[in-house]
Amino acid sequence: MKRAGFSNPWLPVALLLPQLSIIAIFFYWPAGWAIHSSFFLQDPFGFGSSFVGLDNYTDLFGAVEYRKVAGFTVIFTLLVTFLSLAIALLLAVKADKVIRGARSYRTLLMWVYAIAPPVAGFLGIMFFQQGNGPITQFFGFFGWEFMLGVNYTDTATAMVIVSVWKQIPVNFIFFLSGLQSIPKSVQEAAVIDNNSGTSRFWDITFPLLAPTAFFLLIINITYALFDTFGVVDTLVKGEPGNNPLTLVYKVYVDGFRGNDLGGSSAQSVILMVLVLILTVFQFRLIERRIHYT
Amino acid sequence: MGGQLGETVNQIAQDFNASQDDYTLIPVYKGSYEETLTSGIAAFRAGEQPNIMQVYDAGAAMMIASGGAVLPVADLFAQNGEEINVEDYIPGVRYFYADSNAKMIGMPFNSSTPIMYFNKDALDAAEVEAPKTWEEFQNVTAPALKDAGYVPLSQSALPWIFTENFMSRHNLPFATNNNGYDGFDTKILINNDALKGHFKAVAQWYEDGHFGWYGTGWSDNARPFEEGKVAMWLGSSGSFGGLLQKVDFPFSATMLPYWEGVTKEPTQTFIGGAALFAMSGHSAEEDQATAAFFRYLTSPEVQYFWHKATGYVPITEAAYELAQKDGHYERFPAAEVGVQQLSLPGSDNTKGYRLGFYVQIRDVMNREFSRILTGETDVDSAFEAIETEANQLMARFAKTQG
Amino acid sequence: MAEISQTIATPAAPPRRRFRWGRVFDHAVLILGSAFMLMPVLLALTTMSFSDVQIERQGIIFGLSDQMGANFTKAMTEKSGFTEAITGTRMLMNSFILGIGFALGKIVISMMAAYAIVYFRLRFATFAFWIIFTTLLLPLEVRILPSYEVVQGMGLTNTYTGLIVPLIASATGTFFFRQFFRSVPEEMIEAARIDGAGPVKFFIDILVPLSRTMIAAIFIIMFVFGWNQYLWPTLITTEEGLFTLVRGIKQIIQVFEGATIPEYGKGLALAVIAMIPPVAIVVFFQNWFVKGLVESEK
Repeated sequence: MKRAGFSNPWLPVALLLPQLSIIAIFFYWPAGWAIHSSFFLQDPFGFGSSFVGLDNYTDLFGAVEYRKVAGFTVIFTLLVTFLSLAIALLLAVKADKVIRGARSYRTLLMWVYAIAPPVAGFLGIMFFQQGNGPITQFFGFFGWEFMLGVNYTDTATAMVIVSVWKQIPVNFIFFLSGLQSIPKSVQEAAVIDNNSGTSRFWDITFPLLAPTAFFLLIINITYALFDTFGVVDTLVKGEPGNNPLTLVYKVYVDGFRGNDLGGSSAQSVILMVLVLILTVFQFRLIERRIHYT
Repeated sequence: MGGQLGETVNQIAQDFNASQDDYTLIPVYKGSYEETLTSGIAAFRAGEQPNIMQVYDAGAAMMIASGGAVLPVADLFAQNGEEINVEDYIPGVRYFYADSNAKMIGMPFNSSTPIMYFNKDALDAAEVEAPKTWEEFQNVTAPALKDAGYVPLSQSALPWIFTENFMSRHNLPFATNNNGYDGFDTKILINNDALKGHFKAVAQWYEDGHFGWYGTGWSDNARPFEEGKVAMWLGSSGSFGGLLQKVDFPFSATMLPYWEGVTKEPTQTFIGGAALFAMSGHSAEEDQATAAFFRYLTSPEVQYFWHKATGYVPITEAAYELAQKDGHYERFPAAEVGVQQLSLPGSDNTKGYRLGFYVQIRDVMNREFSRILTGETDVDSAFEAIETEANQLMARFAKTQG
Repeated sequence: MAEISQTIATPAAPPRRRFRWGRVFDHAVLILGSAFMLMPVLLALTTMSFSDVQIERQGIIFGLSDQMGANFTKAMTEKSGFTEAITGTRMLMNSFILGIGFALGKIVISMMAAYAIVYFRLRFATFAFWIIFTTLLLPLEVRILPSYEVVQGMGLTNTYTGLIVPLIASATGTFFFRQFFRSVPEEMIEAARIDGAGPVKFFIDILVPLSRTMIAAIFIIMFVFGWNQYLWPTLITTEEGLFTLVRGIKQIIQVFEGATIPEYGKGLALAVIAMIPPVAIVVFFQNWFVKGLVESEK
C-alpha cells in the first residue's frame, strides 16, 4: 500500500457502508443460513424440523448419484475449459497475425460474449433437436444417431458444444490482448533465433502468455461450474431424467423442485468451500501479477 | 396451465366473479407445477400465502403432511355449515387428496388419468383394434402397426403411467402403510415381479421397434403421435382438448391396457393432475369466499364446462350425468374414457398414494427407466436402485416432520 | 508476426509462395471460426422469417421467407402469458431496467468502496478488504436457495429491488476500481492536497472524470451481465409483468412444449430481441469493452 491518502475517520466508513451492508445482507447472511440449515431436515412450510448433524453431508457423499453428478461436472468443466481455451488461442494467434480484416475478425469472434447462456441453450435445442436439428442431421450423415434428451452422452455433447461456443469470445479477447502486449522486439529476436513458426510459438510466445492462460483457467472453471446453468436448464428442458447434470443444477433441482432445504443447503456449502479454494488460488496469482507490473 | 387451459381457467374465474357480487377471484399463474409449489411455500413462510393454491399429485404428500398450512376442504365447508359427501364425487377422485380417515383435504380440480389415444387411420391401415391388454398389444397390435409403417406406441410419463397407475390398474399395493396414508415410515413396493416384468417387456418392445421413447419430457413423446408417426399414445385424459385442436387425423381413446397374466379383473386408476388447497391463515370472511368459489367450481354446470373444454374429468357424479344427458359422449366417445376408468371397481390400493419427497422419487424413476431403455442398466438393478433411493428419500422426509 | 518474418526472411531466399499459403491458412481458420460463431444466430434469424407451421415441420431453415416482420411484431406487441400481462416490449423494458439498474448500482457502490479502500487510512482496511473480496468468485447460483429465502423473508420477491440489489452483492466492481485507482499517479492527490481539496472534492472533481473511460467500460460489462441474468430472475419474479427477456426464455420453451400449436416464430423472435441490445453495445463500444474486460480482470 503506497497511498498516503486522507485521514478522515468517518468518510471512508460511510463510503464503505453501502457495499458492506449489501454484502452482509445478501452474501454473508445467506451463506450463514446455508451452513445452518445444512445441519437440519426441515419441513418446507416451516412447521417441523430435526437436527440431523452431518447427515445431509454423509447422505450426499454416500449417494452414487451425487458422485456421478460430481464426476460429470469435473469432466464437463475440463472439456469446456480445455476446448474453449484451445480454440480461442488458435483464433487469437491467427487474428494477431493477419493485418487485413483484423478488426472485422475481432468483432465477429467476440460478439457472442453478449449472448445469455439460456439463449445459447435455446439455439442449442433448435440445432440439436431430434429428427430435424441441422447438427443432428449432420451427425446422422456420419451414422451417429444423435438423440438429445435420450442418450446421456449425446446430451452431454450438446451441452459441451453450446458452452464452449458461448465461452470462446472471452478467452479470445484475453489471448489477443495478451499477444498484442508482447513487445515486438521479443518477437523479432525470436525470429532471428528460430526459423520454425511452431516452435517459436511454444518456446517464446506461449510462456509469455502463461499468466493470461492461468488467469483464464480460473475464469473458465468458474464459468463451466456455475454460469452454464442456463445452458443446462434449457437443454434438458427442465427435466433431470437421465440427463447429465452439473453440481449447481443439482442444488437448484433439490432446493427448488424437490423442496429439500437441508440437502440443497449442504450442497451449497460444498460448492462454497470449492469456490473459496479457487478464490485463494486466484488471489495468489493476482497478487503476484500486481507485484510484477 | 398455459395456452388453452389457462384461457379456460380465466373464463371460469370471470364467470364466478360475474355470478355474484360479494367476492372477486384473481387467478395468477406461477409457472410449472414445481414452480407453483415452491413459490406457494415461500409465500406461506413470508405470510403472504394465496387463498387457494393449485398443487399437483406429487406434491400432495408435502401439503397434507404440513397440517398447519392447509385448511382442509372438509373443515372449510363445515365452517360454513355444509358437509362434503364423498359419495357425490366419482370414485377415482374421492380419496387421493384426502387423509387416512377419508377426510377431504384438497379439492380435486383438474383431475385426469392416463388413457390410451389412438390414431384411427393408423389402426385401420394395420387392420387392428385398440388393444385391451398388453398381451394383445404385444402379440397382435404392435407387429401389425409396425408393418403398416407406424411406431406402434409412445407414452408421456413413465413414472405416472407405467408405475403408479400400473399398480392401481392391477390392484397392487404401491407402498407400505396403506400406500403411505397411515404414516411416514413408509417403504415403496415397486420392486416386484409384475412391474419388473412389465418393464422387461417395454424394453423388449423398444428394441423391436414396437415402442417409441423420445426423452423424459411430456411433449417430446406426444409430438410424434400428433405428427402421425406414432399410432397410439398414452397420455392424460386432460390432453383431449388440446389434441382436438392440434391433430388433423381422426382419433379416439380407450382405457389403459393391463396384463391378463397379472390380473383378470383390472381396477380403476389414480387421478393425476392437481387439486386446489385452501391455505390457512386467512380471515373467516376470506375463507367464506374460498368456500363459495369451491361450491361454484364443483357445480355440475361449471364442471361440465371445464370437462368439455379441456378433457379433464368431471369430478362429481352430477356433472358426469349432465354430460351424459347432454350427449357429449355420443359426440366425443373418447372424452368419456377417463371417467369410465376412474369409475371402475377399486380397492385400498387404488385410493391414491402419499409419499414424501415424491417429486425426487419420480426423478429417480425417470432416470432409471431411461437407463433401462438406453441399455445402461438392466431392469433388476434399476428397480433395486429405485427402491433404495426412494426409501432413503422417504426416510429423510419423515425427519423433516420431526 | 507474418509481416515481420516475411521482411526479415526475404533477403535470403524469396519463398513467397509458402508465405502466401500460410496466410491463406490463417484466413481460413479465422473465417471458419467466425462462421462457427455467427452461423447459429444467422440461421435463427432466417428461420424466424418462416411461419410456425413451416418451422414445426422443418426446424432450422436455410433461406428467407416473408414472415420476419409478422413474427417480430407478434413478439413485441402480442400479449401473452396466463394473465396476458406481458408483451415483448414490456420484457424489453424490464431487461433494460435490470441491466441499467444493476450496472449503475454496481458502479456507484463499488466506486465508493474502492475509493475508501485505496485513499484512506483505515483501521480495519485489511478486514474490510477480505470481507469484500471473499465474494469475488462466489456467484449467486451457489447460494441461490438461502439468498431466495432471505429476499422473500424481506418481502422483496416480485420487486425490482429484490431483482437487482442481491445481484450487486459481489466485489467484482470494487476490485476493478481498486486496481484502477491504484494506477492513478500519486502526484494527483498531492496536487489536490496542495490546492486544499478535500476528499469529496477530490473524488468528484478529479477521480471520477479521470475514470470516465473505465466507468464506460465497466458499465458495458455489467450491463451485459445484468441483462443476461437467468436463474435469479426466474426465481424472484413470478409475476409476469416483471419478466425480463432472458427470464422469458423459460416461457418461450414452454411455448414449445405447450398444449396448442407452438409459436416457433414468435419464440425465435423473442430470443433474437433478447440478443440485440447487449450485442449492439458490445460491438459498437468494443474498444472500451475490451479494455475494460482485460483491465478489470487483471
